[in-house]
Amino acid sequence: MAQQRISTRRRSIMLTAAAAGAAALTQPLSVLAQGADEIVIGGSIPMTGVFAFAGVGINAGIQDYVKIVNDAGGIKGRKVKYVPEDTGYKVDVSVAAFKKITSQNKVNLYYGDSTGFAKTINPELDRNGSILMAGASFATELNDPKKYPHQFLVGPDYTEMFGILLNHIAKEKPGAKVAFVYSDSEFGRDPIDSSEALAKKLGLSVPVKIMTPAGSVDVSTEVIKLRRAAPDYTIFHGYILAPIPEFITQGKQQGMQSKWMGTFWTMDSSTVMKMGPDGEGFMGVMPYRYYYDTEKAPMLEKIRAMRPEYQSTAYTQGFLAAMLFLESAKRTLEANKPLTGDNLKSALNSIKDFDTGGLIGVPITISGNSIPVGRVYRADMKAQKMVAASDWIKL
Amino acid sequence: MMDWAYLFEISLTGIASGGLYALAALAFVMVYKATRVVNIAIGEMLMAGAYLFFTFAAMWSLPLWLAIPAAVLASGLLGAVIERTMIRPLLGEPPISAFMVTVGLGSVLVGLVEMVWSADQRRLPDFMPSKPIMVGDAFLAPKVFWGAVIAAVFIAAVLLVFRYWRGGVALRATASDQGAAYSVGINVPRVFSLAWVVSAMLAAVSGIIVGSIGGISSSMGVFGLSVLVVVIVGGLDSVLGALVAGVLVGLVEALAGAYLGGEYKLLATFIVLVAILMARPYGLFGTREIERL
Repeated sequence: MAQQRISTRRRSIMLTAAAAGAAALTQPLSVLAQGADEIVIGGSIPMTGVFAFAGVGINAGIQDYVKIVNDAGGIKGRKVKYVPEDTGYKVDVSVAAFKKITSQNKVNLYYGDSTGFAKTINPELDRNGSILMAGASFATELNDPKKYPHQFLVGPDYTEMFGILLNHIAKEKPGAKVAFVYSDSEFGRDPIDSSEALAKKLGLSVPVKIMTPAGSVDVSTEVIKLRRAAPDYTIFHGYILAPIPEFITQGKQQGMQSKWMGTFWTMDSSTVMKMGPDGEGFMGVMPYRYYYDTEKAPMLEKIRAMRPEYQSTAYTQGFLAAMLFLESAKRTLEANKPLTGDNLKSALNSIKDFDTGGLIGVPITISGNSIPVGRVYRADMKAQKMVAASDWIKL
Repeated sequence: MMDWAYLFEISLTGIASGGLYALAALAFVMVYKATRVVNIAIGEMLMAGAYLFFTFAAMWSLPLWLAIPAAVLASGLLGAVIERTMIRPLLGEPPISAFMVTVGLGSVLVGLVEMVWSADQRRLPDFMPSKPIMVGDAFLAPKVFWGAVIAAVFIAAVLLVFRYWRGGVALRATASDQGAAYSVGINVPRVFSLAWVVSAMLAAVSGIIVGSIGGISSSMGVFGLSVLVVVIVGGLDSVLGALVAGVLVGLVEALAGAYLGGEYKLLATFIVLVAILMARPYGLFGTREIERL
């Protein structure tokens, strides 16, 4: 039987075609169709589930800042594309969303929805090497540029939040007694031990630390314990709303004189106002200005013009994340460098005395993985607003 | 040195909050006693009642004297619908089938609540007296105290109903032998329906009280976990057992929380569960099943 011979030229053409075909198969059509000069922000956003109250705001914030940038011509002429997916605040769904978004788009920047996701996806970010990520987590553990070289926090980490509150307390009432009340969760336990050490360093004492089980309804025994410790200040952490109002109500009924405080995720205006009359004077740390702040803030004015109704602090968090993402991209492109994870991160870390348009009241510098600045705000229930109770505190 | 005043105050609070467990456990016992269905969705039914109250009182701004009965009646209707559509078709099937349906029912109720009201935490309007209750020098949170009083009233009422009312007697008869109950003219399906309606209404009362203390959210069904411990400790079909076990679990949780820390609360509860089951596998007051080999 005569064997059919294939010429060398024909074979090389076939091999080239096969290679091209294989390449096309490994890259979905959407990637091939994507504009080569588009900057893509992917997002695992909790639009449903227990964190939806924040996710909806975060999503709107990112969307709005992307729109502002695109309307102004993009970043060095490159348009920005935002690709979100709902995660329901579940780590496995969030990882699936990451895989889906990154396989269909050449993603440069990514917003993650939780500490669990940030930790899970970190090895993938290191391997991939082309993405800079931020998210909804302020976990102290993530504030480590060595362990998390391609991530950053859009504000102070939880220990730094406690640091801001403790600094304020040490100034307002030297030697004060401060109680910590926190949930039995990774979120709740995060800053407790390091903050107890800091309190002692600042000359404060921590007479009691109370951990409540997640989902506990009745906190009467915990309130009795707290009353006996008679703290001057009580800091709640690891909750959104419940059981804080019940602590305050029962504490006041028992004649406690403590001032009550919270951290970022408790401190949105709408959350604090749900505490009712007993929430009067509730204080807490906030790295951003509130939507209705009257001090000069051109970016807030722009937001208010785009959205006349109240926007949550989660909105501001998403908006600022997008702003810092795209500032890093701009600086990278201006230095004529490719948009890799390393280049984006070093561009982020080159941010010194950066003006956020008043979203944060002082110019910010990001030397590591966090923005260690914030302010203490206090609830004015009559005006239904949060009002500033301190200057901006930089750690 | 032992601080007796502290121990007294903590114990008092624990016993009062145990009353809340007892009330929710009562809702569970109602269904189990009459139908032998282990309703694992009891926490979620309690949540549904709390959300219905939230809708009537906070969203529709109905006065409290109207909002509470409306929420309880609507919950009763929900119980009837659940019984008619999910439980009755399983009559005669192995108990595990009905049990699995209630597992699904819990997820369905959580999903419905998240769809209709979102997963955001909310506060219920205050309706209980806010004047602190003092027993000597010991402080008792007013909501917890009044919650316990309401629980005690309902438990007493149910005990009396079971003892003296014809419907209660029918329910007990159905519980002990369905075939015999049929033969003496008891309408067994109606007893089933009645048990689910009453159970849902009791769960609603419990949900309204629990929600007014800790706020409401789509995850408040977790409360059902402690309630399950209470009913198992008390004996699945014993009303008195629900009361005693509720108080016991409330007390153990309070003491563990006060002296060991919040992280030991559930651990202590489950140790009690295991210890009691080892001594009395059918619970403190449960019916001892006669097993013939």
